[in-house]
Amino acid sequence: MRTQEITVNLGPQHPSTHGVFRLVIHLDGEVATGGTSVLGYLHRGLEKLAESRTYPQFIPYTDRLDYLASMSNNLAYVQTVEKLMGIEVPERAEYLRVIFAELQRIASHMVGVGTFVMDLGAVTAVFYPFIHREKILDLFSMTCGGRLTYNYMRIGGLSHDIPEEFLPKLQEFLDYMRTALEEYHQLVTGNEIFLARTKGVGVITKEMAMSYGLSGPNVRASGVCYDVRKAHPYGIYDRFNFNVPVFESGDTFDRYMVRMIEMEESVKIIRQAIKDLPEGPVLGKVPKLIKPPAGEVYHSIENPKGELGFYIVSDGSPKPYRLHIRRPSFVNLGVLEEIIKGWKVADVIAILASLDIVLGEVDG
Amino acid sequence: MSVLDNLFVKIAALVRTTLTGLGLGDIWVNLAMVILYLAGILGVMITAALVLVLVERKIAGFIQLRPGPNRVGPWGSLQTVADTIKLLTKEDIIPACADRKVFMLAPVLVLVPTILAFAVIPFGKGMIATDVNIGIFYLIAVSSLATIPFLMAGWSSNNKYSLLGGMRAVAQMVSYEVPMVFSLLGVVMIVGSLQMSAIVEAQSKVWFVLLQPVAFLIYVIAATAECNRAPFDIPEGESELVAGVFTEYTGMKWALFFLAEYANLVLVSAIATTMFLGGWHGPVLPGWFWFFIKTSIMIFFFMWMRWTFPRVRVDHLMHFGWKFLVPLSLANIFITGIGVYLYKTIGW
Amino acid sequence: MYGSGVVKGLALTLKKFFSKKITEQYPEERPFIDHRWRGSLQLDKDACICCNMCVNACPNGVITLESGKDENNKRFLTRYEVNFERCLVCGLCVEACPKQCLKFTREYELATYFRDDVKLGLYHNPKLSAPSSTYAQKTEQKKEG
Ligand code: SF4
Ligand code: SF4
Repeated sequence: MRTQEITVNLGPQHPSTHGVFRLVIHLDGEVATGGTSVLGYLHRGLEKLAESRTYPQFIPYTDRLDYLASMSNNLAYVQTVEKLMGIEVPERAEYLRVIFAELQRIASHMVGVGTFVMDLGAVTAVFYPFIHREKILDLFSMTCGGRLTYNYMRIGGLSHDIPEEFLPKLQEFLDYMRTALEEYHQLVTGNEIFLARTKGVGVITKEMAMSYGLSGPNVRASGVCYDVRKAHPYGIYDRFNFNVPVFESGDTFDRYMVRMIEMEESVKIIRQAIKDLPEGPVLGKVPKLIKPPAGEVYHSIENPKGELGFYIVSDGSPKPYRLHIRRPSFVNLGVLEEIIKGWKVADVIAILASLDIVLGEVDG
Repeated sequence: MSVLDNLFVKIAALVRTTLTGLGLGDIWVNLAMVILYLAGILGVMITAALVLVLVERKIAGFIQLRPGPNRVGPWGSLQTVADTIKLLTKEDIIPACADRKVFMLAPVLVLVPTILAFAVIPFGKGMIATDVNIGIFYLIAVSSLATIPFLMAGWSSNNKYSLLGGMRAVAQMVSYEVPMVFSLLGVVMIVGSLQMSAIVEAQSKVWFVLLQPVAFLIYVIAATAECNRAPFDIPEGESELVAGVFTEYTGMKWALFFLAEYANLVLVSAIATTMFLGGWHGPVLPGWFWFFIKTSIMIFFFMWMRWTFPRVRVDHLMHFGWKFLVPLSLANIFITGIGVYLYKTIGW
Repeated sequence: MYGSGVVKGLALTLKKFFSKKITEQYPEERPFIDHRWRGSLQLDKDACICCNMCVNACPNGVITLESGKDENNKRFLTRYEVNFERCLVCGLCVEACPKQCLKFTREYELATYFRDDVKLGLYHNPKLSAPSSTYAQKTEQKKEG
């Protein structure tokens, strides 16, 4: 029986659009026949702002990109400038950067996984990850004084060394993570309702994933083994021994699982980094006025959401001539319109959540 | 002991004799008693809803490692009162394009089937408003009416989310009615009567949950779906449909839906207690207290489920209902039939 | 077995139901504020040499500094204001200060009733320009008390 299609405006005010995202969705009964995403509600023009800020002054702005992974954004930006200027970073700072970036990955995945399960209707499953994330935020605020926007990395190193009580606390947290993840698997992963809701839903095929340029957990769930940490090791990532989880089917369940396993791998990396952590300064020799030579540079890192890249054109002045950010959430979101076709409203929400977007990053 | 046990029955008898003593005719006395019962049931229902809102939030909090509401009154006990006052004083908005009459009628009607159904629940020995001999039949007939207000609300709101929610509610409640009825049939077959008091009486030795475990399980699942609670809360489906059928309701109208939800919860728990958990039977404590305890345990179980599971998708829900629960409940009836037959012919 | 996952989940939530609650009962219970906390700003106005480093470091240009010269040609402050509305609380100004006279306090309850109160007059407001870190002490006391 043919019935009239209805158009529903999902968002910008909707409980599960992860911010101010709008999806105009066409429904045939419960089934989505197509949709258009409307972006830009959180656009602040960060790329343009960068042109009127000096290089160090832009660091706090990167915090506001993917605000669930400020550390990683900081890292990507400062490494890009360092690459442009050829600045050496002290060993200790490199190790600490790895520790913080991986902690940030855990924190970000906690929110990603939690909100995903919450969008499937399990409200309790969002509270536990937030409790775990809180412990990471405590570690961060003890080091740099911020809980969301850290502004911790500096061109040439870090702003502070870690306080004394940091390492014991971190060790405690890593041990705690094991039970935390186990509990979460117990609550969510084995649940039959959860499996029925996620297995086979919103499949991104390998070809689709590559042609849309996806990155991060989303592409690894589709059978593409692409992790910037392995593919183009930056910093000192080549010194660590860790696995990159890759799943084959590319459905929402796999995207969830990739994130869960990545958290375990991050714990492994942090353990290795603590073991080798050298003494020394955390800020290298940096000129007082940062004035990179004229030229351009692109550098990307594996941010929790995917490949975060900065492209900087310098004209030799203390301010970037042009700065462009390859924002993984934005690129990952592109595939949404294609994969929601034919799924129920409830699945559309689940698929959107499984892509794990942050609107601060999507809209820039 | 027996004084306590028959406390409410005695009170009712006392009122009746006083009324007769006043020289009123039989009809008037009966009418007065019916109004009294209704008032009693309404009182129980509204208090239960008020308490349960708080309890639900406390349970949700405890499960999520929070203390729950704890600011208004000791232990947060006045929180619901404060919320009710807030809801009462809120502006009552009716959307411009809504079908006004239907829109306003829906929240009122949603309470009616539940109140009607309470008439045949035996809260304790002799504590039943009307012990009709087709109690279960009446119950099923009345509670299936509950679907209509949801459809009315969803349709009249003239909102796409509400419409989807309303349609879902109808599909869900109609499909889960079937396994629910079938699961109750097993009990009826063993007892051989549709009368509520007879069913409770038959459980004086052994509870039917032991004789009919499968039926009990089916009943619990179907009942969760019947009162639209998570994991079957798809008509509301917060993360998909914002608030489903309730999206356009504000203030007291919304509160009525809320009230109905909790009244329904009490109802299905009370039915479970009556049909499977031995009703008011129990040692030492008065019967109505046992009934209260058992019902509370059932309610806790429903809440506990709600705060653990993700939501079921609408088509899975249908498949599960029609392809799994209905055949299973039919098989259960079949096996029960054989059992009853064997029991009657062979005598064990 | 099918259904075991559901039961496991129920077991976990029941366990959590009985375990210790972790909510911080703010405001009766004060959160622990780390020593490096970036809260409100505070200036030691006598130590300030009016070098303008903080002004130049600020990405949003929210610091307004006015100074005069005394008879020894030494600069002294006449006005120092931080428009906290637009402050990123990034700490670049604090890091830039050569005299360490600009500091973060551990004050975090920064909501105000009036818009003008958001602006921090670090020079004129004696509370914010005290040399010793009164705010830090206040938070300490609150925590102990
Ligand atoms: S904290 Fe940052 S934004 Fe605020 S005044 Fe200092 S430099 Fe400017
Ligand atoms: S940087 Fe320090 S000394 Fe210089 S003007 Fe600012 S507060 Fe004063």
